[in-house]
Amino acid sequence: MQAFLDTFLGDAAGLERQLGYLAGMAVFGSVVVFGFVLPFAGIVTWAERRIWARIQSRVGPNRVGPFGFLQWLADGVKNILKEDLIPTVADRPLFRFAPYVVMVGFIAAFVCVPFSSDLIIADLNIGILYVTAVTSLVVVGILMAGWSSNNRWSLLGGIRAATQIISYEIPASLSIFPAVLLSGTLSMQGIIGAQGAAPWQWHMFHSPFTLLGFGLFFTAALAEGNRTPFDLAEAESELVAGFATEYSGMRSTLFFMAEWGNLYVIGALVTTLYMGGWQLPQFTYNPVLMNLAQAGVFMGKSFACVFFMIWLRATLPRVRVDQLMAMCWKYMVPLAMLSVFGTATLMVALPNGSHTLRMATFAVVVGVVIRFAFKVRFHLKRARELDYSSLSSGASQGLSS
Amino acid sequence: MSAVTSWLQNVTASCSTVFEGLSITFSHFFRKPYTVEYPDRIETRVQDTLPFRYRGMLEVDLEICTGCLACERACPIECIVIEATKDKATRQLMINRFDIDLAKCMYCGLCSEPCPTGSIHHTREFEGSDYSLESMMRRYVKFPVAAYKPKKTGEDDPEIMPVLERGMRYLDEFAQPAAKPASGATSSSESTSSSESTSSSGTTDPGSGTG
Amino acid sequence: MSVELEVHNSQGLPTEEMTLNMGPQHPSTHGVLRFIVKADGEVMRRAIPDIGYLHRSIEKIAEKVGWHGFMPYTDRVDYVAAMACNQGWAMAAEQLADIEVPRRGEYCRVIAAELSRICSHLLGVGAMGMDMGAITPFTHAIRERDMIMDLIEELCGARLTFNYMRIGGVAWDLPHGFVEKVSHYLDHLEPVIEEFNQLLGFNRIYVKRLADVATVDADMAIAWGLVGPNLRGSGVDFDVRRDLPYSVYEDFDFDVPLGSGEMGSIGDSWDRYIVRMREMVESIRILRQALAGIPEGPVIARVARNFKPPVGDVHVKIEAPRGEQSWYVSSDGSEYPHRVHIRTGSFTAMGIIDRLSHGLMIADLVAVIASMDIVAPEVDR
Repeated sequence: MQAFLDTFLGDAAGLERQLGYLAGMAVFGSVVVFGFVLPFAGIVTWAERRIWARIQSRVGPNRVGPFGFLQWLADGVKNILKEDLIPTVADRPLFRFAPYVVMVGFIAAFVCVPFSSDLIIADLNIGILYVTAVTSLVVVGILMAGWSSNNRWSLLGGIRAATQIISYEIPASLSIFPAVLLSGTLSMQGIIGAQGAAPWQWHMFHSPFTLLGFGLFFTAALAEGNRTPFDLAEAESELVAGFATEYSGMRSTLFFMAEWGNLYVIGALVTTLYMGGWQLPQFTYNPVLMNLAQAGVFMGKSFACVFFMIWLRATLPRVRVDQLMAMCWKYMVPLAMLSVFGTATLMVALPNGSHTLRMATFAVVVGVVIRFAFKVRFHLKRARELDYSSLSSGASQGLSS
Repeated sequence: MSAVTSWLQNVTASCSTVFEGLSITFSHFFRKPYTVEYPDRIETRVQDTLPFRYRGMLEVDLEICTGCLACERACPIECIVIEATKDKATRQLMINRFDIDLAKCMYCGLCSEPCPTGSIHHTREFEGSDYSLESMMRRYVKFPVAAYKPKKTGEDDPEIMPVLERGMRYLDEFAQPAAKPASGATSSSESTSSSESTSSSGTTDPGSGTG
Repeated sequence: MSVELEVHNSQGLPTEEMTLNMGPQHPSTHGVLRFIVKADGEVMRRAIPDIGYLHRSIEKIAEKVGWHGFMPYTDRVDYVAAMACNQGWAMAAEQLADIEVPRRGEYCRVIAAELSRICSHLLGVGAMGMDMGAITPFTHAIRERDMIMDLIEELCGARLTFNYMRIGGVAWDLPHGFVEKVSHYLDHLEPVIEEFNQLLGFNRIYVKRLADVATVDADMAIAWGLVGPNLRGSGVDFDVRRDLPYSVYEDFDFDVPLGSGEMGSIGDSWDRYIVRMREMVESIRILRQALAGIPEGPVIARVARNFKPPVGDVHVKIEAPRGEQSWYVSSDGSEYPHRVHIRTGSFTAMGIIDRLSHGLMIADLVAVIASMDIVAPEVDR
């Protein structure tokens, strides 16, 4: 990014140069945020509803726009037009401020998300540390929301969320270490640079310890993002909407956009750390094409992670708060320690890495995927697809495909 | 040692059951959804796919109403109001009023059972929502009509015959008690000719004791 | 409700109990139930039920509409499993007037009641899953329930409030092709139940949420009057269909599943869940036997339109999906019953929740209510 801006700034120096960088970053940041992040947060709701619907034997929204694609816009417009209710007993300044804190905490993470080798707003040399730090702002926002609503259910939700996010910072940060150790740098581009384009060259498959780190990071990030199975902060059947109960209209939309957008942040982080980022074999020397292709690869991998998280949410029930804590401290932290020490030990024992170990880990994962495919086939064959039209006198004859 | 084994068991059990659950939900992507996209993206109208016994909105065929008031008595929620008076001049039973309050009706079917000709019957219509409560009151009598008298020799009026056939077919769906011959596929003319029409249909016999 | 201040916690420091209202409107699928929860943070001290939000005076209405006219109202006593309530009322009136239902009619009743039992259990376990956060098994259960309702719609014309049975038998005979359709459907349902169990029942997170939560041992279950799957989940081997047989249940060969503490202790919430799942399998067994062995003949006995049973009382017990339903009907010889009282399984299950909730977390309260399969219409009538 800096190199790109340098071409415009020529030989301006000092304050001018810094201001130029600032302006460039602001422009690019706005493009990313308003052009990608916020629409994506909306589109992921559409994707979520369609994906859940197919899993649940029904059809998701399909009336508003082609395949219901404009449903999220319609929902957004509806939310904007709603009355902005603030309970009289609520703490007004905190109540209004809380959604903004949550949004800032979530959007600020995009500064360091590497979309391709040149498309990154700022390649901080403490990249991943910055992201972890800044996403913790969300806790403050959620606690503010839960407290200021002056509603016991919101308070419970807010406190649950705060304990959850703070606790899961530990395994999340610990599971970043294997990737950082292997890359030797905290910078996002550096971590990607240490990986290769082919799947077995990703950090994930370096050894079983990094595979463990990948799994733990994914789970801990899920817990950070308040997604099922860890979504007790907004457990619908218990607390209506948890900390966001008293919020209506656009304010509540901000909370939920932060949650859905967080899905992408999690996907991006997992991709960067463990799945090779935007790495692609060099197929052209045209930088624009190359960057676009790399961005495409990055998006593809992140969207795959997002799809997995949506799919997981449809499948699993949620854990209780004490089980959540037990899982974090009794299971994930020891396993994360194991993955860190294991990776470190391997790095000392085999400084150049072991190709066989890498290929073995890759083979194990491929085996798991194949087993999964067989299980899916088994389930499909077992569920004797009922020919619906033969059931009743034809109430289901009206099935459209 | 058992603590370690139970710890390991927890981890493996979680992973394997999550794996199983994920495979089940993934398999649903390859199955057809069950949704019927009513009302516009279906080939046949839903009303036409419903069974003949379906208890939709009530309808009265006044041509074959005998004015016996059996439906009014049977209704548990008093949504049927009928006025039938014997006209002194013509010695005929005139039906002056036949109102069904569809807002009250609970679609139980108890009115259509005792009807001797099947004039009050459930249709397969269910789309009845409207903007006013008054429109829910269906008034079937526009001007007083004479009550229907079933003919012993069978119905021969070509206008009334199809209506009666439909009515009797509707009544045939109801189960008959043992003592009567099985209704089966009796044609309408035969069953009206035995104009014990008050008891050839329906499951209860008026005033035949408590047995 | 007075707020108890100056409660002391375990370290002797004064603390305050939080009074929460889990109000009549909340997104869980059990109807309008209200609980006043007194909690110390996440741990509950009491959960006081407040019922009556769905009271419709059904028992009083019986005294006004008469014997035949009350049948549609019985559907509304438990609209999730309406056939059982129909059957209870019909049996009570028949016992009062000494009417014998023809054998084919009894078989039709059993088929309808068992289909309705499967429907009800599907909703019960689906709602349980949804309360735990698993949204998919609920939709699958509803899909299966919808298919059964299609079948019942062919049978009696309605999908929820069936009004299928009459005093003396049933109102409609089985339509053409019904036996084949139901058999075909049952072939489809068996793997679905297995799949449901694999997706939800044996899922580790689900098991951990329910195992050892709100354990009700056998003595406590009997003392608090639990019935049905709640009672059998605690290990008490009692099923009205087998032990006080009514209708033609003696002709059928079926097992009565009991909770055995597979995943925790006997009588915990998971046991009640698995008892329901296994009861569905048993219902399929009964259905297959009934469909295979249904005799020819009439389905309804001759009963007067102005039905006047002799003076007397009768107390009928049936095994509704939510447990044993008792119908106490008192007749004074007139066309209108003198008094009807329906004792439903959900009513007593509401009572035990307060007793169980001490020490549970708020998240568990939802689990307990769901595992007791409480529906508001049965509680309030």
